[in-house]
Amino acid sequence: MINKLKILLLISTFFFLSCEDMFDYSSYVVDFEGEDKDVNQTNIKSLLQKDAGSTIRIAFTGDTHREFDEFDSFVNEVNSLNNTTPIDFVIHVGDIADFGLPQQYLWGNSFLLNLNCPYFVVLGNHDLVGNGSLAYSEMFGEYDFSFIYGNIKFVFINTNSREFSFNGEVPNVNWLDAQLKPSSNFTNAVVIFHIPPMDTDFDSTLEADFHSSIAKYNNVLFTVHGHLHHHVVYTPYPDSIKYVNVYSVSNEKFNLISITDGKFELETYEF
Amino acid sequence: MESLNLKHTNFKVFLILVFILLISVESCYSQDTSKVDSAAYKKFLPDYVKLQFAGGIGFLSSGLGYTFFDHKLDVSFFYGYVPKSYTVDDLHSVSLQLTAKLFSIKKYKNIEILPLNIGWFVHHTFGNEYWVSLPDNYPEDYYWWSPGRNAGIFLGGEIKTKLFANKTPASGIAFYARIGTRGLYLSSKFGNSTIPIKDIIELGFGVAIYR
Repeated sequence: MINKLKILLLISTFFFLSCEDMFDYSSYVVDFEGEDKDVNQTNIKSLLQKDAGSTIRIAFTGDTHREFDEFDSFVNEVNSLNNTTPIDFVIHVGDIADFGLPQQYLWGNSFLLNLNCPYFVVLGNHDLVGNGSLAYSEMFGEYDFSFIYGNIKFVFINTNSREFSFNGEVPNVNWLDAQLKPSSNFTNAVVIFHIPPMDTDFDSTLEADFHSSIAKYNNVLFTVHGHLHHHVVYTPYPDSIKYVNVYSVSNEKFNLISITDGKFELETYEF
Repeated sequence: MESLNLKHTNFKVFLILVFILLISVESCYSQDTSKVDSAAYKKFLPDYVKLQFAGGIGFLSSGLGYTFFDHKLDVSFFYGYVPKSYTVDDLHSVSLQLTAKLFSIKKYKNIEILPLNIGWFVHHTFGNEYWVSLPDNYPEDYYWWSPGRNAGIFLGGEIKTKLFANKTPASGIAFYARIGTRGLYLSSKFGNSTIPIKDIIELGFGVAIYR
């Protein structure tokens, strides 16, 4: 009997050792390593290693929520397109983790890691639920960040005001203004965020300042956002600055924007 | 304000810990001490105390519980902790579990094998960010789930032994293991063949000391 028990113990010990990563301590454990850390900065470094051509091509997706199979198809489609017509990078416009769970962050990034080009993820409101704010910082880095590629400054900004109880600090308009202030390093800018300024989830007291910063220096080519899960190009304010609401992954379509000589063109692909 | 709330949470957790400690000490010695041998008092003592590793409810969880219907149903209460060395921010949580013990094999002397236990649990994580009812800054039904309280299910097995039964007031020690998942993981996996099953699994094992 004791021998049988010992054998059983031995078998179970080996069983448990072999499935070490299934010993879950909590669904809120944030313990990212390697490629799951500091993702945006790592991708900025790898993007800036190559020289931008005369045309910059960017594929957009977002609002992936729990649509992981569709997310996978998007990645495959972009990869095969990239083989024929080069794509400079991919932008995910937020809501990569539907419940803000660290495991959902890991799933989301596991698909993006299969891309054969650099990618960037902006913060969405769902990404902030629970301790999602911590998970985003650990995995992607700063909530507001920017880089310059081919004389164009790409500015990513957190506009999820509701998640911060409309505290008057989100979005950080001063930071945005400072980013867009003309310098010799860039000629034009593109601003990317999750929630558009006219939405009820955006701090209405900051809406006017937000857009006036975007319009102020006359250098913003267009802005891109998600959150609404459909696609439309529109000019919501009296000036001519275009807002591009890009397809969410659930539409099984994605938008590709090409920028040449300060002008942009938009195409839609199905997957 | 935030640090005050945190202190408040820590204090609650501390109280729970003290409660578990007191009850478990009481249950270990009450059998021998005849002076507290009133039946009414004994009725409220837990039937077992548990120490569990992982299983989604903490790095280590300590629990106590009662058994009903001739050891067929267990109701357990756990306090679980994940220290900072395993996550960016340490986690305190409590959970309530119902376990139905479907089969019992008593073929061997001093050993009882419970090969199939099925269970349901509800898990509550402490902290402002783990809200249970939608905070005031959201319109109604803005999010349909709550990060602070979620439920899950598990399957398990247990081996009850008479180890140390002669040397201590405990009637026996049991070893158990469980495999489970929670609703938020199941709904993430639903309709997604690209999500590996192993990612939604919560394994755990533990030891139970019976009164």
